[in-house]
Amino acid sequence: MTAGLVLIIGGLVFLSGSAVLAFCWAIRDGQFRNLSAAPLTIFDKDEPVGLPTDRFPSRK
Amino acid sequence: MKPQSLLSSINPANEPDALASYERAEIDASTRGPVLLFFGSAVFWLLVGSVLGLLAAWKMTHPGLLDSLGFLTFGRIRPAHLNAVIYGWASSAGIGTGLWLMARLCRVPLMHSKLLVSAAVFWNLGVLVGVLGILAGDSRSIEWLEFPGYATPILFVAYACIGIWAVIMFRYRKPGHVYVSQWYLLAAFLWFPWMYATANILLVWQPIQGSAQGAVNWWFAHNVLGLWFVPIGLASAYYMIPKVIGRPIHSYYLAILGFWSLAVFYSWNGMHHLIGGPIPAWMISASVVASVMMFIPVVTVAINHHMTMRGHFDALQWSPTLRFTVFGAMAYTIVSLQGISMAIPSLNTLTHFTDYTIGHAHFGLYGFFSMMMFGAMYYIVPRLVGWEWPSATMIRWHFWLVASGVLLMVGALTIGGILQGLAQYDPTVSFRSSLDYATPFRWLRGISGFLLLAGHLVFATLFVQMLLKVGRRKEGPALFAAPADHKPEAAV
Amino acid sequence: MNKLPMIFVGVLITFASSWLGLVVYPFLALGHMQPAPDEDTGGYFPPTTTGLAVAGQRVYAANGCIYCHSQQVRPAPLSTDIAKGLGPRRTVARDYLRVQPAFLGTMRTGPDLTNIGVRQEEANWHHRHLYDPRSVTEWSIMPSFRFLYKLQLIQGQPSDDAVKGLTGPLAPPAGYEVVPTDDAKALVAYLLSLKRNYPLPEAPLPPAKK
Repeated sequence: MTAGLVLIIGGLVFLSGSAVLAFCWAIRDGQFRNLSAAPLTIFDKDEPVGLPTDRFPSRK
Repeated sequence: MKPQSLLSSINPANEPDALASYERAEIDASTRGPVLLFFGSAVFWLLVGSVLGLLAAWKMTHPGLLDSLGFLTFGRIRPAHLNAVIYGWASSAGIGTGLWLMARLCRVPLMHSKLLVSAAVFWNLGVLVGVLGILAGDSRSIEWLEFPGYATPILFVAYACIGIWAVIMFRYRKPGHVYVSQWYLLAAFLWFPWMYATANILLVWQPIQGSAQGAVNWWFAHNVLGLWFVPIGLASAYYMIPKVIGRPIHSYYLAILGFWSLAVFYSWNGMHHLIGGPIPAWMISASVVASVMMFIPVVTVAINHHMTMRGHFDALQWSPTLRFTVFGAMAYTIVSLQGISMAIPSLNTLTHFTDYTIGHAHFGLYGFFSMMMFGAMYYIVPRLVGWEWPSATMIRWHFWLVASGVLLMVGALTIGGILQGLAQYDPTVSFRSSLDYATPFRWLRGISGFLLLAGHLVFATLFVQMLLKVGRRKEGPALFAAPADHKPEAAV
Repeated sequence: MNKLPMIFVGVLITFASSWLGLVVYPFLALGHMQPAPDEDTGGYFPPTTTGLAVAGQRVYAANGCIYCHSQQVRPAPLSTDIAKGLGPRRTVARDYLRVQPAFLGTMRTGPDLTNIGVRQEEANWHHRHLYDPRSVTEWSIMPSFRFLYKLQLIQGQPSDDAVKGLTGPLAPPAGYEVVPTDDAKALVAYLLSLKRNYPLPEAPLPPAKK
């Protein structure tokens, strides 16, 4: 029981600490910079913003 | 890796339009084999699962129905239905969608397609062996893990191939921002093997003692939904909604926030299935708190999708993909808020052991996830086979049949479940009343099963027609935005 | 530029916390729980599941009884399970030490079975009920499990095992008898073994019933 508690509390501290470190690294890495450009990555020159890309087949 | 060297020699910033569409068509075409294999088997298992589910539903109102044969007894049909739709339909459709999205978003043609084709074969073999094993009387009766011990290793081999592939794909992606769908997909592909292995080891192969099994069981069963189906469904929505209407998602910040809060809170949710059950109280409390915290990821996704769609709701009329996807996105919001309310102990005590939970599960897996997958398949399949869907009327029939079917089912089970729960809660009411109250709603649920099966038959017909290229090639922006000299087929 | 390790680590870590809390912890804390000694008789609670009842668990699992029947009694302020007569006390982790797997259940389409061995102590009742539920409880929606029974011609003397007192449309015609298979016998032995009416240190019986 106590071994379990030690493991879980220690594990939680260790893991959440690492998660915070990973998150800080992501910020430094620029993953969260320029958030306005990120959603544009799914568009191309021939399928630009503003072009619908799906339609019922029989309609023009 | 010939396609890769070709692509890497092109600087995306300077390329003409034709090359962009050529590149995209080439990537789409590279996923054709494995994705169509996963989609095809998904449709097959959808039909099998629907028939099993329909039979189980009618057995609830007609207990004498086909009851002389052991392999058709309710207690085997029901887990066979669940596993056929979870592992056969939903997972296969999700993997297919995930492969296609991953290739598109990484902007590299799919590599190692033989690995994936063998994964698809093994996956189907595992599901087949598992479902037959349940019907033959080898079910483990551990919810969501009923497959006998000899079926799961086959699934695991299949899955390992897919997970390895996803990581390789991500590793070789084109430089640039990682889109939020990729986060969701990569996370799902990493979470699933971990939880599936843990649950199978601790529950099926080397079972642990006592009620710790309940904890592991519900940690797994809830996470299959939240950390496997939800991320794949949301990855699809985050791609399809902006792509179809041609408008970037409203807030990328909210999207990232939604991803991380889902990752943190969801995996703690499962114990709310055991409120009042024989496990340590702190585990249940932690789950209740985490369940309530799910408000954050759910609301961020809801706001984001709504704001993206705002002013574009007329698009629902002309895009089949969007119609299914938006239905799924709305269902996701409602079913998640419903799930949060069900984790509150005073409400849970009413709904816990009733049809209400069954309704909730179908709302999540069907109203949200299956609708998302239909939407994704309407977008993806034409781009793989180079053909338009043969009939707009049939697509509309498909939508209205399954939408009314799932709403009728969820509505009936929800009301019936509340009445059943009230009867079970009141000590002065006999057990019989809890049956009598629920029975008319179980009839309605049985009827909804026919609507769903009919919708699935329509969809299966459409899908087979696509594979056989029935009808004539039709004009439309879905497929033929590419210039004539760079048709998708030309890229094969 | 390479974000892969970061995402990889983050994804695994968030999940690892729940894995530790909800899987590893119960594995360690509940996995090594021991039965409670009973000072009056020198025995242990919960009693060992023995003989045919062990095989009965397999039949219970194979035929999916769990999808309609729970086996857990929730505590009093939270629920009315005890007032409803499902058992004299709540069930706790130790109650499930000797069973494999623990059939906690999530549905009560049918009644809870935590204490079915206390409520119905007679094997023949269970056989009649499994063979044709509606001959025992008219409004039952339980399916018949008659595929676990054999209908056979009576050879001279009726068999000792034969199910007695069967009535209704599924009752055997004259000169025939209904005999349980090994599976049916095992299942009934298991159902009769379901008695969580003993005291445990963490869940004593209410004083009124002692």
